Amino acid sequence: MTNIFTAPAIAIDGLHHSYGANPVLRGLDLTVQRGEIYALLGGNGAGKSTTLSALLGFLRPCSGSVRVCGTDPVADARAARSQMAYVPENVSLYEHLTARENIGYFLALAKAERGGDAIEAALSAVGLTQAAKDKRLSGFSKGMRQKVAIALALARDVPVLLLDEPTSGLDPRAVLEFNRLLDAAREREVAVLMVTHDLVSAVDIADRIGFLSEGKIEEEQTASTAGPRFDLNALHDRYTLVAGAPA
Amino acid sequence: MTAVKLIAREEWRMLARNRSGLIATGLLVLLILVAGFTSLESRSAIEADRTRYQASVDETFDAQPDRHPHRMVHYGQFLFRPIAPLAFFDAGVNSFTGNTIFLEGHRQNSANFAEARQSSLLLRFGQLTPAFILQTLAPLLLIFLAFASVAREKERATLKLLLAQGIGGRSLIAGKMLGHGAIALAVGLPAFALLLGFAATGAADWATVGVMIIAYACWLLLWAFASVIISALVARPRDALAILMGLWMITIILLPRALPEAASAQNQLATKIETEIALHRDLLKIGDSHDPDDPYFNDFRDEVLDRYGVRTVEELPVQYAGLVAIEGERLTTQIYADAAQRQAAREREQNAFVHTFSVLSPLIAIRQLSMTLAGSDPAAHQDFLDQSEAFRYEFVQRLNRMQAELLPEIGGEDPRISAAYWQEVPRFSYSPFNPLADRTRIIWPLLVLAGWLAALCVLALFAARRIGGVAR
Ligand SMILES: Nc1ncnc2c1ncn2[C@@H]1O[C@H](COP(=O)(O)OP(=O)(O)O)[C@@H](O)[C@H]1O
Ligand SMILES: [Mg+2]
Repeated sequence: MTNIFTAPAIAIDGLHHSYGANPVLRGLDLTVQRGEIYALLGGNGAGKSTTLSALLGFLRPCSGSVRVCGTDPVADARAARSQMAYVPENVSLYEHLTARENIGYFLALAKAERGGDAIEAALSAVGLTQAAKDKRLSGFSKGMRQKVAIALALARDVPVLLLDEPTSGLDPRAVLEFNRLLDAAREREVAVLMVTHDLVSAVDIADRIGFLSEGKIEEEQTASTAGPRFDLNALHDRYTLVAGAPA
Repeated sequence: MTAVKLIAREEWRMLARNRSGLIATGLLVLLILVAGFTSLESRSAIEADRTRYQASVDETFDAQPDRHPHRMVHYGQFLFRPIAPLAFFDAGVNSFTGNTIFLEGHRQNSANFAEARQSSLLLRFGQLTPAFILQTLAPLLLIFLAFASVAREKERATLKLLLAQGIGGRSLIAGKMLGHGAIALAVGLPAFALLLGFAATGAADWATVGVMIIAYACWLLLWAFASVIISALVARPRDALAILMGLWMITIILLPRALPEAASAQNQLATKIETEIALHRDLLKIGDSHDPDDPYFNDFRDEVLDRYGVRTVEELPVQYAGLVAIEGERLTTQIYADAAQRQAAREREQNAFVHTFSVLSPLIAIRQLSMTLAGSDPAAHQDFLDQSEAFRYEFVQRLNRMQAELLPEIGGEDPRISAAYWQEVPRFSYSPFNPLADRTRIIWPLLVLAGWLAALCVLALFAARRIGGVAR
C-alpha cells in the first residue's frame, strides 16, 4: 500500500461505474494533491456526485481504482472516511437540533471532538450570526443550512474536502467568504475536490478545473501563475458546450 | 463516548423534543399506573368481600342444628379462592372463571360460577390491568416512537452524512436499538416498580416477580428492536409504519384469537359430546344399591357381612345404608375423576397446539407466562377445582362415616346427631398454588421470547450490513 504521506490525497484511476445498465463513469482519471483545489464541472447527470460517492465508498466501482490518501474506501471505509469531510449536494442536517448541536453531534460521531471553541470558530468562519448558532435548523434558509454543513466539514480538520455544489444557495458575499475559507484550507495543505456550477467562483479559487463529460474528464485546465489565472470567456464557452451535450 | 451511545443519546434528545411522542409516552405510563392501582383496589375489594362471605358461611355452617348426617351432605356451601396477590397485575382467566364455587354433596365438579356482581366488577376493571396495557398498547407506543428511527435518516439523507463521518452500519443500528431498547424498559418501569413493591412487602416472592420482569422486559425489547430493524430495512418511514402496524395486528390481535379457535375446532367439539356419553354410560354401570337383585351391591353386601362376621345387615354394628353411601360416593367420584382426567389430557393437547404457535405470536408466550406467574391462569384455577373436589370428597365421606358409625347407637324414628359433631367436619382451606412448581410452563415461553430476541439480533446484523455496505 502506498504511504499515506506520499500518496496523492485523491487518486482515481480508470474508474468505471454503472447504475444498472446506465454507465455513468467510463474510465475516469482524476488526481488531487494536498494543498490543491480542484473544481469539477459538468452538465446535469454527468456523474459528478457519483464520483464523490465513489470516493466516500458509497458505491462499489465496476472497475478501476479509487484511493483516498492511499486507502481504498470500499475495502476500509472507516479509515478512508476518517480522512475526508463531505458537504452533500442537498444538505440535510437534523432539523430539531441547533447549528451548534448539529456540528457537535457529527464531530463526536467522527471521533473529532474539537471542543466548543472550535465549533464556535467554524460557525463564525462561515458567517453564521451569533443568534443563528443556537437556533434550531427547522427555521433556517437553504443558504444557512449550507453554511452549517460547510462549517462541519471545516471543523472536521481533515486532509481531504469533498464539496458537492457547496455554494448553491449562498449569496455573493457568502460565496466570497467561502472562497477565503478554501484559501485558508489550501494553506493548511488540504486537498479540495469541489463540484460546482459557479464558473466565476471556480475561476477565482481553483488550481485546476476539469470538465466531466461522457464519464471522463474531457478537458482539464490548470491555473497559470502569471496574469489572469484562467481565461473565463474560453471556459464559459467550453462549459456551455459540455453542459449542453447529452450526458 | 462511543458512537453507539452517541446515537442512542441523540435518539433520546430527538424524542424529548418531539411533543406528541412525549405525550403518548406519558399517557401510557399514566395508564399503566392507573390500571395498576384500580386493579389493586378492585382486588382488595373482592378480597374483603370474600373474607366477609367466608366468615358468614363458616358461621352458618357451625350454627347448623342437630341433624341426620345425610341432610348435611346436601347442605350446599360456597368455597372461595383467595385471589393470588399478583392477579391485580394480570387477571388472566379470573374474570371468566370467577373465584367462587358452590358445592353440594353429590355434585362432583360442581359448576363453578362467577358471582354476577363480582364477575362484572372483574370484567369491568379486570381487563384494564397493567398486563393488558403492556401486552397490547405498549407495543403500539414503541412502534410509534421507533418506526422512523432509521428510515427517517435514509429519507432525509442524513444517513449519508452519518456514514461519511465513519459511522458503520452496526454502530448505527446498535445505537438506535440501544436508544429504543432503553425507552422500552423505561415504559415498563412503573409496572416493574409495582411488581417489586409487591415482592418487597412480601405479598409476592422475589423469584416470581423477577421472572415476570424479565419476561416483560424481553417482550418490550422485542417490539423496540423489531421497529428499529424494520425501519432500517425499508426506504421510507411510512413503509416501516405500515409493516409494523401489520405485524402488530397479526401477532397481537389476530393470531391469539385465531389459534385457540383453531385448536378447539381441531379436537374438542366432537370429543366433548363423547365424554358426556361415556360418563353417563359409566354412571349407569355402577348399579342401583336399592335394587335387591343388583349384582354389584349384592357382592358388596356379602363382602361387608363377611368382614364383620355376621349374617344379616341388621346384625351389623354399623348402619348399612351409611356404608352403601360411602361405597357409592367412592364409585361415582372415581368415574368423574377419570372423566376429568381425560378432559384435562385433551386440554393439555390443545394447549400444546397453541403453544407450538406461540413461536409465531410471542404474545401467546408472554400472555401465558404472565398469567401463570400471576397465578391467574387456567392451571391455577384447575388446582382450585381439584382442591375443592378433594375437600368435597373428604367432607361427604366423613358425614357418611358418621352416618354409618353413629346412627346405630342413636336409633329411633328420626335419628339425629349432635350439632357438636359439625365442628369435626373438615373445612375448606385453600393452599396457594405455586406457579414456579412446574418449570416447563415458565421455561418454554421464556425460550420463545429469547428466541425471538435472538432472531431479531441476527436480522439486525443483516440490516446493518445493508445500511453500512456500499449503496445499491
Ligand atoms: N442511486 C442511483 N441509482 C440509479 N441511477 C443513479 C443514481 N444516482 C445517480 N444516478 C444516475 O447517474 C447519472 C449521474 O448522476 P449524478 O452523479 O448524480 O450526476 P451529477 O453530475 O448531476 O451530480 C444520472 O443519470 C443519474 O440519473
Ligand atoms: Mg450532483
